[in-house]
Amino acid sequence: MTDFFKRFDIVLLLISISIVTVGLVAIYSATYTGESASTYFSRQFLFAGISVVVLIIVTYLPPKTLAKFSYYFYGLSLLLLILVLFFGKKISGQKSWFSVGGFGIQPSEFAKLTTIMALASFLSNDENENKLSNLKNFIIAIAIIAMPVILIMRQPDMGTALVFLSFIIPVFFWAGLSPYWIIAIISPVIIALAAFFGDIYFYIAIALLGLGLVLFKQRYIVTAVIVLINIGVGFGTEYAYEKLAPYQQKRIMAVFDPTTDPLGSGYNVIQSKVAIGSGGFFGKGFLQGTQTQLKFIPEQWTDFIFCMIGEEFGFLGAFIIILLYCILIFKLINNAYLCKNRFLGICCIGFASIFLFHLFINIGMTIGLMPVIGIPLPLVSYGISSLLSFMIMIGIAMNAYRNRNIYI
Amino acid sequence: MGLLTRKLILFGICLAIAVVLVIRLIQLQLLNQEEYGRESQKNAVKTITITPARGLMFGRNNQIVVDNRPTYTVTITPNEFDTTKFAEVSLLLGIPEDKLKEELRKVKGTNRFNPQRIKRDVDFKTIAYIAENEKLLHGVDYQVESLRLYSDKFRASHIFGYVKEISEKQLANQIGDYYKQGDLIGVKGLEKTYEDYLRGEKGYEFVNVDVKGREIGSVNDGRDDILPVNGSDIYLSMDEQLQEYTEMLMKNKRGAVIAMDPRNGEILCMVSNPDFDLNIFSGPTDPKILSALMTDKDKPMFNRVTMTNYPPGSTWKMMMGLAGLASGDITTTSTISCPGAFVYGGRTFGDHGAYGSINITRALEVSANTFFYKLALQLGLDNYHKYSAMFGFGKKTGIDISDELPGRLPSVEYYNKVYGVGKWTQGFIVSLGIGQGELGVTPVQMVAYTSAIAMDGLYTTPHFVRKIVNSNTKEEIYPTFKTTKIDFPQKWFDAIKKGMFLVVNGNGTAKGIKNSMYTLAGKTGTAQTQGNNHSWFVGYAPYEDPKIAICVLGENAGWGAQFAAPLAAAVMVRYLSGNTIDSFDEEGVKIFQTVD
Repeated sequence: MTDFFKRFDIVLLLISISIVTVGLVAIYSATYTGESASTYFSRQFLFAGISVVVLIIVTYLPPKTLAKFSYYFYGLSLLLLILVLFFGKKISGQKSWFSVGGFGIQPSEFAKLTTIMALASFLSNDENENKLSNLKNFIIAIAIIAMPVILIMRQPDMGTALVFLSFIIPVFFWAGLSPYWIIAIISPVIIALAAFFGDIYFYIAIALLGLGLVLFKQRYIVTAVIVLINIGVGFGTEYAYEKLAPYQQKRIMAVFDPTTDPLGSGYNVIQSKVAIGSGGFFGKGFLQGTQTQLKFIPEQWTDFIFCMIGEEFGFLGAFIIILLYCILIFKLINNAYLCKNRFLGICCIGFASIFLFHLFINIGMTIGLMPVIGIPLPLVSYGISSLLSFMIMIGIAMNAYRNRNIYI
Repeated sequence: MGLLTRKLILFGICLAIAVVLVIRLIQLQLLNQEEYGRESQKNAVKTITITPARGLMFGRNNQIVVDNRPTYTVTITPNEFDTTKFAEVSLLLGIPEDKLKEELRKVKGTNRFNPQRIKRDVDFKTIAYIAENEKLLHGVDYQVESLRLYSDKFRASHIFGYVKEISEKQLANQIGDYYKQGDLIGVKGLEKTYEDYLRGEKGYEFVNVDVKGREIGSVNDGRDDILPVNGSDIYLSMDEQLQEYTEMLMKNKRGAVIAMDPRNGEILCMVSNPDFDLNIFSGPTDPKILSALMTDKDKPMFNRVTMTNYPPGSTWKMMMGLAGLASGDITTTSTISCPGAFVYGGRTFGDHGAYGSINITRALEVSANTFFYKLALQLGLDNYHKYSAMFGFGKKTGIDISDELPGRLPSVEYYNKVYGVGKWTQGFIVSLGIGQGELGVTPVQMVAYTSAIAMDGLYTTPHFVRKIVNSNTKEEIYPTFKTTKIDFPQKWFDAIKKGMFLVVNGNGTAKGIKNSMYTLAGKTGTAQTQGNNHSWFVGYAPYEDPKIAICVLGENAGWGAQFAAPLAAAVMVRYLSGNTIDSFDEEGVKIFQTVD
């Protein structure tokens, strides 16, 4: 029995099931019509059960098999992403769903999982610790991520596409890429943001970047090129913003100040802040949140489900769910650290990044910290594809824990 | 960098993000809880909008000419509506499913919690079905709304105009936020001009709702509720009987009639024919009927009183006489020789006959073209433009119905623009002298100009509304319209008016309408166009003490004396007789010829 617990990550499983349970409660309330549980709830409940079974199966699969089949899963995902562009169901302008027997299947949710697996498989298929220092390998690794991103952008679903960019840095970092290059890769995004906020921020950011890179004492010519590229990005951002149509500018401005567009893109954020803010410390109680129950927030069972938690369970409930996520992400990182199998380790880091990114963006947008990007709250938001995909990730992390002392 | 360091860095990032989120939650939920609590409380209040009844319109004799009738309007509250019921509702209301979905999709933000008007003027059977199936058709409801009801004696479609559901563009461009999707707004005629008075002010009831959206009593015992204010009634100068009579005369004809009281600008009747049935626009408009109206080759939606751009023909000659007197090119007694034709620049301009040397009064009586060809040349384009503009040509009169156009009064700039500087000659002005050429006028301009002559220079703006009565306070508003005095010596007007008197009562073109009851004065006109000529008549009566001025236009109806003059005479006599005399017998034969 002790041997079982040594190899079975019971903490991770319990944390995950807790979060899924919170999700079921939240979906129940968010879709409550006053009489009985909605079909959303019963479907999610059914698939929560199924996903636990799948999770256990994945836990016990041989790591070698997982690594070997990664490419096939990845290929299948790409195929589905192509097919969905042709045969997908168009919902509010996006083609991201297959309708199968009344259920919606979203290939992009599974692509998150399979892309990380394929990337991990590629980065671990030989003993070379510094594989990414080779330009060819670096390009292949980027290509593995880029292919699903391009297909998802065609749907177009920018939010999900963005998710794929979130794990590049952590995975490369874990796989041994030097911090110098990490900074070089991240810098354009930060510079673009700084340039958007104003010239002063842009100049400060450029100065800091130059100074930081110089400290690494790499070849100065390379550093100079990186800084020059960033200066270009900065000016390009300003130029691009000026070129946008007024309605597009308005939409961007609404991210920073929702009151500029209270009935359009700012509406959700205003209402979700009201929902969460009015929850107070203890919340209004299960099924007692007026914002939630009067359905003031669109998509409150998917992307905006955190509103229900914030309103009906208050700060206490919100804090506990964030705490549960923190423990879950810590466990994923720690499993990567403990695991001697590089494939499983890199997978865990990728999954941890995805959870963290979803957490930050999803909760961040409901409380007005982040722009409204339509991605789910992992294990909580309604959606059987994302639930299943996230549970398989947990399964692989448990597999890593189980096989942490085995190298191959 | 060792694995442990990397792990700790990643832990650090995760912790940092969690801390940021928690700090923000503390800010929202603990520090600002009161503020957001109030906001959410506001959302738990349902605002019920009460649309007021639109103001009525009364005629000159205080009869209701535009009334309201109560109707049922089906509403859907998008947020409460069960989207699986689209097909059922579509079938029930006879609205295509796609259109229904589109209607609901358009509703944004908190408006989704308010009932949206989906179909107006729904029959009682449908309402009964909705009431019985309240539970099944959640979010589908109805309101009682008043829609327009019109007299069956006359149409007056171009006068009253109509209301329409506000368009997305109008909603976006409105000043303030009074109008909401589904509201009706005046888009034509008096309904448009007097929209702000006719619409009234909406009322609002505030009701608390529980978490299930059930109403649980009014907010603050209804003390915050705002009562609706019904629209103000407007009283028109339009004479109900005269309008009915004039429409009867114009039946199956193409043209326009407008008559006004020259003393104050009050319009007595106005007909633009063919017209249309306003009932088409009251309640849901059948798109097929609407498109038939829009594409009809006779253009029933086109207001021939205010939007035409036709040359006025000889009805213009009084204007030329006045301009000549004012510029000093002629006097009331000076003569111009009229040998029967006029040659200028190698071109011969025709006339009806040879009249010898005649003065302005005689020239009007016999409508001598040559007199006015020569006068126009002497006058020059600048004076032509200057004095015609004083009588309102080339600009809108300011009549209080929408869709008026200014016509076209040629000037030096106009010819320079159209033909190029130096590319046109003084010869162009010759035709302008007899009301032909590039000159374009509207009947409403013509009646205002005729009135100004009848009133010795008092130019009043033609208008319909005499007073506006606030239905709440009973306060009366008397709208004012611009009046100008054209300061010409009395003897000029006397000379012109005498000419118009002789047109009917002397040896003029309209002697057929001379009668023993009322002394009529006027001028016929025949505007040359492609196809049959337009028939014009302007006039006023009684000559001694004008009480009515009129302009009649018959599109492609031949000479002025053929169509326009007898019709104008019939309308004037009818009005002056207190709506008792009918100048036409049943076969439409003029009885003036026998009266004389």
